[in-house]
Amino acid sequence: MNWWRHVVANELRKILAFRSDFWVTFLGQTIIQVLIARALWQSIFDANGTKVMEGFTLPMMTLYYIIVPVGNKILTGENVGFLAREIYDGSFNRYLIYPISFFQYKTLTYLTHSFFFALQLVLIYLLFNLFQPDGVTLTLLLNLLSGVAIFLVASYVFCMIAMSIELLSLWADNIWSLMVMARFFVYFFGGSYMPLNFFPDWAVSALQYTPFPYLVSLPIRTTMGLASSTEIQVGLVSLLVWSILFHLTARSLWSKGEYRYNGVGI
Amino acid sequence: MKRYLRLYLHFLQFSFSRAMEFRLDFFFRIMMDIIYYVVNILLFKILFLHTDLIGGWTEEQMMVFVGSYLLVDSINMTIFATNMWWFPTYINRGDLDYYLIRPVSPLFFLSLREFSANSFMNLILAFAFFVYALVAYSGTFTIVELINFLLLLLNGTFIYYCIQMLMVLPVFWTHSSRGFIDLFYSLGIAMERPDKIFKGWLRILFTVFLPFALIASYPAKYFIEGLNLNDLLHLTLVSVGLWIVMLFVWKKALRSYSSASS
Repeated sequence: MNWWRHVVANELRKILAFRSDFWVTFLGQTIIQVLIARALWQSIFDANGTKVMEGFTLPMMTLYYIIVPVGNKILTGENVGFLAREIYDGSFNRYLIYPISFFQYKTLTYLTHSFFFALQLVLIYLLFNLFQPDGVTLTLLLNLLSGVAIFLVASYVFCMIAMSIELLSLWADNIWSLMVMARFFVYFFGGSYMPLNFFPDWAVSALQYTPFPYLVSLPIRTTMGLASSTEIQVGLVSLLVWSILFHLTARSLWSKGEYRYNGVGI
Repeated sequence: MKRYLRLYLHFLQFSFSRAMEFRLDFFFRIMMDIIYYVVNILLFKILFLHTDLIGGWTEEQMMVFVGSYLLVDSINMTIFATNMWWFPTYINRGDLDYYLIRPVSPLFFLSLREFSANSFMNLILAFAFFVYALVAYSGTFTIVELINFLLLLLNGTFIYYCIQMLMVLPVFWTHSSRGFIDLFYSLGIAMERPDKIFKGWLRILFTVFLPFALIASYPAKYFIEGLNLNDLLHLTLVSVGLWIVMLFVWKKALRSYSSASS
């Protein structure tokens, strides 16, 4: 198990290799996205002349969009192509000779990224609430920790979805567009673009049978303290079922696809 | 000029034949862009279930705006985006050397070499949606207004390109793998919102320093609300200013380029 520690340390070094880029991108993405979303919702609240829409006030909406960009990063861990690129250029060879499980190694590097972004979420969320009238309370801390925990479980599920798609590159040469499509679906139907409360009822009911709301909406609602305990329990069971399903899919794709890998790259 | 046109035709031929090498990927990428379009349209359709106005525009006016930015985005994806994607690689691997020694502007080469054939298919789709939004639009407009609208959108594409270049050029100094291109795409959401929602310093940011709001929102505003001389002057000044700044940074960046060892 000692190799886990080295892999995590190595990944963290890689994440922080270009610090200026990293922090500019991180702060820029988060702050600007929040400001743009707030401006949009401010105009909608003003046009309707109301203070509450679908259970959300404007400050709640702001909080929602503070969590969204970092939450998306937790969920999607490593960049698109974290596996497909290596299969494509042949550098995947090294995983075949490493004395460790390929699956464990890749899952761990992915989750290291997620964990790092989870720390960012904690930092941003606490900073934001520090300047709010209620400040940082025990309830807020508990909600934040529960939300981050669910985000990490969700990120494992998305890691398995990503692996299932990325392993298709053993059959098709270039699949990054499939990964981008998957992200569009998860972000839109998960609630990154807007809270699912705004979707028509029939759409919300239909989405319960997909993994999307549990990947984005549930962890955000938990962090904000909006999710009931029943909702969290149902969500966690759903995430467990989806994780098993996608884990089996990825495993079966790997066991079939590894014989197609020619090792020379393209 | 003629030489550059001939060169660009060769780029087109090369890009199409390369795209057809990976047919499945070609198809996937078309699907990806279609999903992006659908998501954008659905977003506003759902929002309009809860309000009658966004940024002062009704749903049909908003669809004209959505059609506008999808069109600009598809032109950018077809002509510039792939080049911007590879830009940091050329700098970090020292491949820029090959562009510098050719008797062609390196900026032209780096910006236009890769034409995205699959996005060209989506450009057709985006244009079809744009036409649909115009047909569904109940307001009246003349041919001259329509032509001006299209010209303003082309100017918007140019602004989009300049901002994108300014986000990728820091790679000359930071040597990172992607520059600030991820930040650029995050900021790009500002292009997808009507400019009237931005107030105060945020408005100044998105109409002057990072003028995303001028890309599609100002052209759509001209088309929907008519000519405003102040807006036109603002658009012209910012476009020219941005071009000058981009060329200045580009020249500075080239001077700091230290070839393969950089």
